[in-house]
Amino acid sequence: MRKTVLLSVVALLVLSVALIQPAVAQTTTLRVLVHQNPPMVEFMEAFNQQFQERHPEIVVDMSVVNAGDLSTVTQTRLSANDIDVIDMFGFSNAAQPYMTDVDPPNWQQLIDAGLLMDITDQPFVANYDDATIRDAGTYNDKVYQINLGRVSYSGIFYNQDLFTANNVIVPTTWSELVQACETFVAANIPCMTAGGKDGWPIFVGAYGLIGSLYADQAGLVEGLWTGTITWNDEKALEMWSRMQIYTRDMIESGASGIAGDAAPGRFASGAVAMFPGGTWYAPAIESAEPEFEWGYIPFPGSENAEDNQYLFGKYDQGWAVAANTPNAEAAMTYLAEFSAPENYQLFVNAVGFIPTQPTAQLDTHLGEEVAPYLANFRVGYEQYWVAPRGVGQYANPWASYFQPFGTFDDPQALADTVQADLQSGLDVAGS
Amino acid sequence: MTYHFGRGRSRWLPYLLLLPGVIAYFVIALGPSMATTVYSFTDATGLPGAPVNWVGLDNYDEFLFLGQAARDNLNAVGRTLVFCFFVTTIQFTLGLLVAIILNQKLRGRNFFRTLYFMPVILGAVIQGLIWSLFLYPLGGPLAKFLAVFGARSEFLGAQPTEAFAWVIVVQIWANMGTTMIIFLAGLQTISKEYYEAASSDGANRWQVFANVTWPLLTPSVNTNLLLNVIGSLQAWQLFLVLLGYRNGTQVLGYLIYATGFGQTSGSVTSSFRQGYAAAASIIMFILVLVIGMSVQYVLRRREARILE
Amino acid sequence: MNTTSSEALRLRNGIDWGRIGSYAFLVLLAIVYLGPLLMLVNTSLKTTPSFMRDATGLAVEPNFENFAEAWEKANFPQYLFNSVLYTVSATLIYVLTAVFVAFPIARGYVKYSGALLLLFVIALFLPPALIPQFQLILRLGLYNNPIGYILLFIVNPIGIVILVNYIKSVPKELDEAAALDGCGYFRFVWSIVLPLIRPAVATVVVMHAIGIWNEIILPTIYLTNKDYYPITRGLIVFQGVYGSDWPVLAAAVLMLTLPMVILFLFLQRYIVSGLTAGSVKG
Repeated sequence: MRKTVLLSVVALLVLSVALIQPAVAQTTTLRVLVHQNPPMVEFMEAFNQQFQERHPEIVVDMSVVNAGDLSTVTQTRLSANDIDVIDMFGFSNAAQPYMTDVDPPNWQQLIDAGLLMDITDQPFVANYDDATIRDAGTYNDKVYQINLGRVSYSGIFYNQDLFTANNVIVPTTWSELVQACETFVAANIPCMTAGGKDGWPIFVGAYGLIGSLYADQAGLVEGLWTGTITWNDEKALEMWSRMQIYTRDMIESGASGIAGDAAPGRFASGAVAMFPGGTWYAPAIESAEPEFEWGYIPFPGSENAEDNQYLFGKYDQGWAVAANTPNAEAAMTYLAEFSAPENYQLFVNAVGFIPTQPTAQLDTHLGEEVAPYLANFRVGYEQYWVAPRGVGQYANPWASYFQPFGTFDDPQALADTVQADLQSGLDVAGS
Repeated sequence: MTYHFGRGRSRWLPYLLLLPGVIAYFVIALGPSMATTVYSFTDATGLPGAPVNWVGLDNYDEFLFLGQAARDNLNAVGRTLVFCFFVTTIQFTLGLLVAIILNQKLRGRNFFRTLYFMPVILGAVIQGLIWSLFLYPLGGPLAKFLAVFGARSEFLGAQPTEAFAWVIVVQIWANMGTTMIIFLAGLQTISKEYYEAASSDGANRWQVFANVTWPLLTPSVNTNLLLNVIGSLQAWQLFLVLLGYRNGTQVLGYLIYATGFGQTSGSVTSSFRQGYAAAASIIMFILVLVIGMSVQYVLRRREARILE
Repeated sequence: MNTTSSEALRLRNGIDWGRIGSYAFLVLLAIVYLGPLLMLVNTSLKTTPSFMRDATGLAVEPNFENFAEAWEKANFPQYLFNSVLYTVSATLIYVLTAVFVAFPIARGYVKYSGALLLLFVIALFLPPALIPQFQLILRLGLYNNPIGYILLFIVNPIGIVILVNYIKSVPKELDEAAALDGCGYFRFVWSIVLPLIRPAVATVVVMHAIGIWNEIILPTIYLTNKDYYPITRGLIVFQGVYGSDWPVLAAAVLMLTLPMVILFLFLQRYIVSGLTAGSVKG
């Protein structure tokens, strides 16, 4: 009896598996892959709706995956010929001639394997500014991606009320920043917070410091590879000393246990004066405390105010097309419509990226704050950096190596360790 | 061992019924793992259409000997062993103790069993979230508790050794429930008569445990030791969600995950390196195999001795 | 420790210190378990802004809307059905095949059973073979197919090892007696062994089902049609590259775990039923 019941349950299950077949599509189904970023996904759903109404012959089937799985899923879906339009982070630097024996970055591997479509001649490419197409979408003189927006990570959010109340001027040089922190700390206000538990917010928070000392970030990478710049030379030592002040004196104690997600809320609560972090934190700050008044400035890492007027960052999301797509025409229609200035403007409004179409505006509070520096946007060092094989775990200019986040408390010792770890990789590459 | 059921054709029945499980195992588990082994000797990217070259032992050489990265990899191996030792001994002992207590007729034992098993149901992402909140240094519950005694800690953000210790705590918290139910199941096989005989002999609690429970629990002891050793050697998810990529805390499983999913140290411009990732996982396989099989060997000898 | 012995001890001592100690220990441990778990409940009752402001503060005005939002946004009604389908069918197939693998191996009724067991133990150590396994399923034509997805979960060496170790504690004399009575092999395993190893089977079912229920990477890779998504796939709506909506996610997770909690509550009766201890005289 019981056996019969069990067996019929199994039979029923097998049957229902067979029954949940997908609806047969008579139209073109355009398969789009995006990474999970809630405001963007929400916008895309609305856009897809609108697109399908205008093009009844096309059905958009958009899949959303976590950002961490994007490259794996891109790989598997390309293998299965199961994708047409792919969301891809902006191209960073390709492996350069002076970089010997490195693995090219994954976007370059995809192109080399012939998996991405050349879209150089598509008219919608012209909607984006030249720098974007060149820096974030071109490889071997052909365009493979249109990039949809930049983010900057080299700035500092600051609490306007606390600055006014304590008569602190918005710092434009390193000394002014040190001074500001001293004033706040004397008034029992922690100077900066950051999501130290996750490690990376600490070193990303100091990317601006690197940027203001090494204005030419691509040159910095070449210098490190060719040995004309080392992480323990005099200039680097200055950087390390400042990083130590940043981790030891500026960031509040306890920050090493704050999760990355919690830091914007901590800042918005008004308890701390500053929050070094990427432009992507702005929506979180606003959602935590809509009335809160904040500003955003480039990290003043140099004594020379001129050097502190740049925003460093990276190209975020972009669109690429699978080379072997059977729906190339639909894919191009889709990207052309997305790239139409009015649609793109809506995208920027929703997602809050720094726009890559010259006609688009970032109409948010963040947009106002970054507007003065937009002409000075530069791609950050770590987007250019390709590590040689065999480098040690300390081979990076990361402030998080210092206590309390890491174990070092001597800039010189750290500088030598970092250079030695890097050198071991360079030696391998050179041999 | 003597087969009792039938003669002739029906002698083949066990083989026939065994087949589906074994075939599935060969096709779905063993086959792909063999392919991983082959991958590990190539520079495969895993991308369709990309050339694949035979590189011999290069990937292994890189992982074990190339530059300072090799030093970091070997440190991670050491850390993995430390992690394994603490997690296995504590989780095993705690699971056994809890199972023995909860096997008694106690009021609320269903509640306790379910409570201790809850973390197993949650999965690593949520385990990570709730421990990050529980250990939040600025006003989280444990920080408040410590403050009563004038103590404080950065917990997961503390220096590598302390942060590492917290991962051990969470790993045990998260998986003790499994150890517990395997022991609970095992305790059901011990006949009451043994206990009755022992107590009528005037044995105390410890003697009952040492002479009845412990030897008769041997099969569950074997299962749990093996599962705890393997589970802790292969652990990586909690390291990811609790600590992220932090120097001085990585274990082997986490390094392999980071390599396979393109999140290695030093460079955001990650590459598809299936060949290298495969070699790293084969190295881990060998490590786990050697330790696991030694444990298995000792356990089998012990079992044979007890069951004689 | 067993009921009978503790009762005997109580009689001798007057005060049952063992029982008091047991409770003290259980309660202490329960605090360690409840603390973090309550953080989950607390988070699920907060509004997102209040979580952003103060993640660990008590949810003074419980906000139950998170549950409704999670239910709808993660598409629970549809995806929950798929999750149940995958979990139940894969677990059933797996446990049925596993029992017939474990029994003859534990008894040595098949040749090379020692070697077979070794193979399954080695399988415990095997590294995950994500990409080769993907290639296999793709070539079998089972990519983006529920049957292919279920196939991924019909192998689990842990369960075999647990069952083999457990079956060893079932007395062999039973086999002899049953065979003398003319009981066939299949019927013996099905109607006599299976009930006797209920605690182990229940344990394996719980562990295996939870594994499938919580799986998130595999459905992301193998199932691209939304009609096939399990509920874990729906939950990523609340995660984001620049920060997640933790309160709604926490509410969703609480709802997600409920079926597994019920399964555990139901099966733990079998895990600790004590049936075997009563019916088998070793």
